[in-house]
Amino acid sequence: MANRIFFNVIQVLVVMALAPLVKGILNRLKENLQSKRGPSIFQPYRDIWKLFHKDEVVSEQSSWIFRFTPYVVFVTPIFVALLIPVLTGYPLFFAFMGDMLGGGFILALGGFFATLAAVDTANPYGPMGASRTRMVGFLAEPVFMIVFFTVSFVAGSTIPYIVHKHWVTPLANFFEPSHVLLMLAFVMLIIAEGGRIPVDNPSGHFELAMIDESKGLEYSGRGAALMKWGGSMKFFVLLCIFLNVLVAPWGLARGETLGEVLLAIPLVLVKIFVFILILTVIESSFAKLRLFRITEFLGAAFITSVAAMISRLLEI
Amino acid sequence: MELIYLLITPALAAGLCLIPAGKKWAPAVTILGTLATLILSWGAALRTARGEEVVALANWISCDSFGALMALLVAFVGFTAAIFSWGYMERIVAPNNPGKIRRYYARYNLFLLSMLAVPIFSQVALVWIAVELTTLLSVFLVSFENTPEALEAAWKYVVLTCMGAAFALLGVLMLYWGMSVSGPAPFTWAGLTGASTRVPPALLQAAFLLILIGFGTKAGLVPLHTWLPDAHSQAPSPVCALLSGVETTTILYAILRLLPILKAAPAIHAEKWFLTFGLLSVGAAAFLLIQVKDYKRLFAFSTVEHMGIILVAAGLGGSAAHYGATLQMVSHALSKSFCFFAAGSTLLAVRSRDISAVRGLIRTSPVAAVALLLGGLAIAGAPPFAVFLSEISILKAGLASGQYLTTGLLAVFIVIAFCGILFPINRMVFGNPGEPSRNRVLGATSVITLVLAAIPILLFGLYIPEPLHELLRLAAVSLGR
Amino acid sequence: MAELNMTLSVLTKLDALAGGLFLLTAFGLVAMRQVLASLNLFVLQSILLAASAFILGHQHDSIHLYAVAGITLAIKAVLIPWLLRRTISQEIYARREISQVLNIPTSLLLSVALMILAYFIASPLLSLGHEPFIKVNLPIGLAGLLLGAYMVMVRREAVPQVIGILAMENGAFFAGVAIAPDLPLIAELAAAFDVLIIALVMGLLTRRIHERVGTTAVGRMTSLKEE
Repeated sequence: MANRIFFNVIQVLVVMALAPLVKGILNRLKENLQSKRGPSIFQPYRDIWKLFHKDEVVSEQSSWIFRFTPYVVFVTPIFVALLIPVLTGYPLFFAFMGDMLGGGFILALGGFFATLAAVDTANPYGPMGASRTRMVGFLAEPVFMIVFFTVSFVAGSTIPYIVHKHWVTPLANFFEPSHVLLMLAFVMLIIAEGGRIPVDNPSGHFELAMIDESKGLEYSGRGAALMKWGGSMKFFVLLCIFLNVLVAPWGLARGETLGEVLLAIPLVLVKIFVFILILTVIESSFAKLRLFRITEFLGAAFITSVAAMISRLLEI
Repeated sequence: MELIYLLITPALAAGLCLIPAGKKWAPAVTILGTLATLILSWGAALRTARGEEVVALANWISCDSFGALMALLVAFVGFTAAIFSWGYMERIVAPNNPGKIRRYYARYNLFLLSMLAVPIFSQVALVWIAVELTTLLSVFLVSFENTPEALEAAWKYVVLTCMGAAFALLGVLMLYWGMSVSGPAPFTWAGLTGASTRVPPALLQAAFLLILIGFGTKAGLVPLHTWLPDAHSQAPSPVCALLSGVETTTILYAILRLLPILKAAPAIHAEKWFLTFGLLSVGAAAFLLIQVKDYKRLFAFSTVEHMGIILVAAGLGGSAAHYGATLQMVSHALSKSFCFFAAGSTLLAVRSRDISAVRGLIRTSPVAAVALLLGGLAIAGAPPFAVFLSEISILKAGLASGQYLTTGLLAVFIVIAFCGILFPINRMVFGNPGEPSRNRVLGATSVITLVLAAIPILLFGLYIPEPLHELLRLAAVSLGR
Repeated sequence: MAELNMTLSVLTKLDALAGGLFLLTAFGLVAMRQVLASLNLFVLQSILLAASAFILGHQHDSIHLYAVAGITLAIKAVLIPWLLRRTISQEIYARREISQVLNIPTSLLLSVALMILAYFIASPLLSLGHEPFIKVNLPIGLAGLLLGAYMVMVRREAVPQVIGILAMENGAFFAGVAIAPDLPLIAELAAAFDVLIIALVMGLLTRRIHERVGTTAVGRMTSLKEE
């Protein structure tokens, strides 16, 4: 029991510590793939460190939401990290505190506050970006729901650990059409929610075209550090849900010893690295979609997830 | 063996046509080739009328009475249309382009080959392929004149019929599945009929509907007929005669072959489906005929109507109605080809496709006018032509079997179409020619063809010779009881 | 025996995977705007068809099906794209189709409805087959057929319509390799060549339309009407 609480804490610490690393690897890999040298993979750590040591400038016109949001954005992925399998294959102490739908809502809460804060500043680019983020978000919600419903239907429960045990662990299930289609739908979802190309350009500086980046535009100092860190933790958490629950549960700790759990850390990182490779290839192969085409992109994700659900329900 | 020759002759003729050996070479080769196929199919038809089945390759290439009847029809219309093409192509379509004319005849022969293949092949999968080939080999014949309208017509033709063929493919594969479930049997029409009692009815129904929709698109059944008026009017007239006269009929032959197979599963109500589609076709065509502005389109809609009549006759059930169906197939093929020859002659005389542009044809070109009038009367079902006889026999059979509503509707639609065809033709033939137009003399080939094609439709309206009667009766028997 | 069952279940799952991806390519054909992308998706679909035929050939140990897989690959994945590229000029392939008859999200929703319809039509037939492969291939093949038909109706450009028809044939064959695995090879061969001729004919017709009319937006050619 105490072990489980301990492992849960380790899980959260791992998420907090490794999320910027994952972001750094992603950036570096993308640059490498485009024949550039790219920043060091530890650069996000340095950025966060630098930002924590700077002064914070807050607009007088903004309300408490603006000051409160960075904490919300930082804390919500941590809560979700308590619920999902990051390092272990068996449920930990807080695992039954919320299910996947709850986790989804908590992540959405963070996004909601970020949107509100963007509107709060009365900077023209804030609300523009906020409305676009909401458009992407509301189109992505049905996909999330259908994905979760499909896997829960199979597993008989919505708790991530139980889902992962019934959904992916039988190896033969890997090739099932519903599984493949769900993978595809969720990848499209990660691209949309994480603000990657082809939905949004994460390294763009042009405010008129920003979707996801605009939420962090007005922050400085500690607020900016927390928003950055929170953003990368949300991405890490999404990747964990995708890889550990839906796709590839291998490498998670089976036993209850500390050694096994610590061994799981590099294994999970390897899995994430492989997926990031695929993501970077996708990013470098496509151009950014025009804003109105994003509805088609997410429509295609929706259709894919519905096809997955139907083929599962009809027992194909 | 004759069946193999029947297949080889058009192929050979197609190849020979491409040899540039003078202006008269390609038409002559084609006419001789079609004459040879006519003789061969006549021989095969006589043999089947005596009751035996002509077999070239057991279970692959053989034909019974119904198939021989179709082959005979195709060969006859092919022969007359080939003669008509001689003068027509030179005058209208490609006046100084011998290369284009050679290509026309080559495609003509290949098209004829594919249409002959449909009744001769007995493996159902090969029948599907032959049906698909009748479309593909006629596409460039439809678009031959290379006008934007012709190209549009050809495009709609190829797209809609290939869509139908894909549906029919799945239906054919399902039939094969049903047969293999019930035990080994050759995948021929006869084999299917024999195995049909052991095939699960759900499967038969699905396959039947798919094939009906698929081949029905090709045969021009409403509501899948939208390509037909365009394609059958934009093609050069001899090709129209082939398309309207025999191609849709051969496709309908393939659909009707399903009827005895479906007798084994009465729950499918195959006959009700036939009646519905048939009446729909006749009705829609009769009403759509009225607002047509182009006389070739008029005849094309009439094709839709007659396909509907044949389907209704098959759906009425009973040997009398089936006899009426086969007789209608014969009379329609002969009459419709004659109509298109008449339309072609009119086009030669007046050079315009619009009904409103043609007036007082009887003064401009008497031969074309008489032909058009006769053709209109023949196809609309006036006595003493063959179509009248077949339609009356169908209506009689319908009344005798007690299906009064269907027969009544059919009669009403036929009357509407009768008026719809004859009013415009009346206006075209009689009346004052608007401006004095030159008296164009029709070529000898056109006149010969018109006479040649007119003989059977008059003859069969009055008297059906005994071998033909036997052939029709046996063909009707093969449709099931 | 247990091993045989395991192999069967792995093969079934692989076939189901091919089927799921086949369905996805059928959806993709409806959704893609670029003409070149639809051609590439068709190639992918044909490869998946060949894969399914291959898997089924392994299951039935039938040379027929291996031959069918080979023929499909040769003709549909290699020859037909080459043929279409040769007969139609390159600039048509660079086009995007800006407007379809219905916009893409609506088309996608209708495609899902068509897929459900295909499953409903196929479900009374599924109880007849003793093999698990029929359960996968028949509904997906029928869905591919319907989605191809929808694509032909909804697209205005010539090349996507051609590809829609070829996709319909793909769907029919996908169902066919499972329900009629021992169709005589001659019939299979002839059907494959028939598809080739379809591509050839339609390609040449497209070129002629492009030369004569100046555009390949065949959906807008509606001059032959009754008014």
